[in-house]
Amino acid sequence: MDEGDILTSIEKTITSSNIRQYAEVSGDFNPIHVDENFGKQSQFGKNIAHGMMVAATISEIMLVNFGEIWQSSGKMKLRFKSPVYPNDTIKASGCVKKITISDKTKNIHCVINISSNNEIVISSDTFIAIPS
Amino acid sequence: MTLENNLESINYENLLPGDTISKRSYMIDQQIVNDYLSATQDNNSKKLTTTIPSMIIAALGLRGIVNDLKIPGGTLHVGQEINFTRSVLIGETLKCEAHLLSNTIRKGWRFMSVSIEVINQNNDLVMEGKSSIMLPA
Repeated sequence: MDEGDILTSIEKTITSSNIRQYAEVSGDFNPIHVDENFGKQSQFGKNIAHGMMVAATISEIMLVNFGEIWQSSGKMKLRFKSPVYPNDTIKASGCVKKITISDKTKNIHCVINISSNNEIVISSDTFIAIPS
Repeated sequence: MTLENNLESINYENLLPGDTISKRSYMIDQQIVNDYLSATQDNNSKKLTTTIPSMIIAALGLRGIVNDLKIPGGTLHVGQEINFTRSVLIGETLKCEAHLLSNTIRKGWRFMSVSIEVINQNNDLVMEGKSSIMLPA
C-alpha cells in the first residue's frame, strides 16, 4: 500500500431485521432503534440503525485491506454525522492518507467514510501499525 | 461512585469525572459471533479462523454504558475512539469497565464522554476507547 491508494470498498443494505439482531447482540434496545412508534415521533421520523453497527463496516474494510493484524493493532476515530435508516444502502470507501516509518513499524493512516444517499453518515480516521 | 447497585434512578447531574459507569464480564462464544456476523452482514470476518471480529469487543464494551447508565431514548452516539491491542479468541472471557470522563450541558443537551477498557481473563488489555454521547437534558 502507498499513500493515495484506494481501499477495497464495501456496500450493503441495512434492514430492520439487521437492526433488531444488532440490538440483541449489543444489548442496546434504545427505542430510537427498535420501537417503531418512538421512531415515528422522534426528530428522525423513523427508526435509525445503531451507529456502531454501521461503523462495523469500517473495521471490515480494514480487515479486508490489511488482514488480521487489524484485530490486534488497529485504531479508529469515528464521527457519527447522520443517521442510517432501515433499507438504506451504505457504501464504505476510503484511501491511504499517510504512511510513516518508525523503528521497525510501518504506520498507516487511512480515511474511510460511509455514505448513504450521497451523504456522509460516518467519517473516520483509522490507523494500523505493521511490522516492516 | 459506582452505578452497579444504583440502577433504579440515575441523576445524571450528580455524575462526576472518574465515576465508574459499568463493570461487566462476557464469555465470548460462537453464538455471539454468529449473531454479530448476521446483524452486521460482515461476510469478510466469517473467514477469520481463530479470532473474533474485533468490533464485537467494542459492542460489548458499549453494552455496559448503554444499560448501566440507563441511557434514555433519544440519546445520540456522536463519536467513538477505539484502540484494539490484542486479538480475542472464542472462549475467552472479557471484563469491560467504563468510567466517566466528562459531563456537561450545552444547548439543551447533556454531553458525556466515557472511557472503556476491556481486558481478557489473563488481565491483558484487548481494547480501550472513548465514547461521546448526547442525552436530552
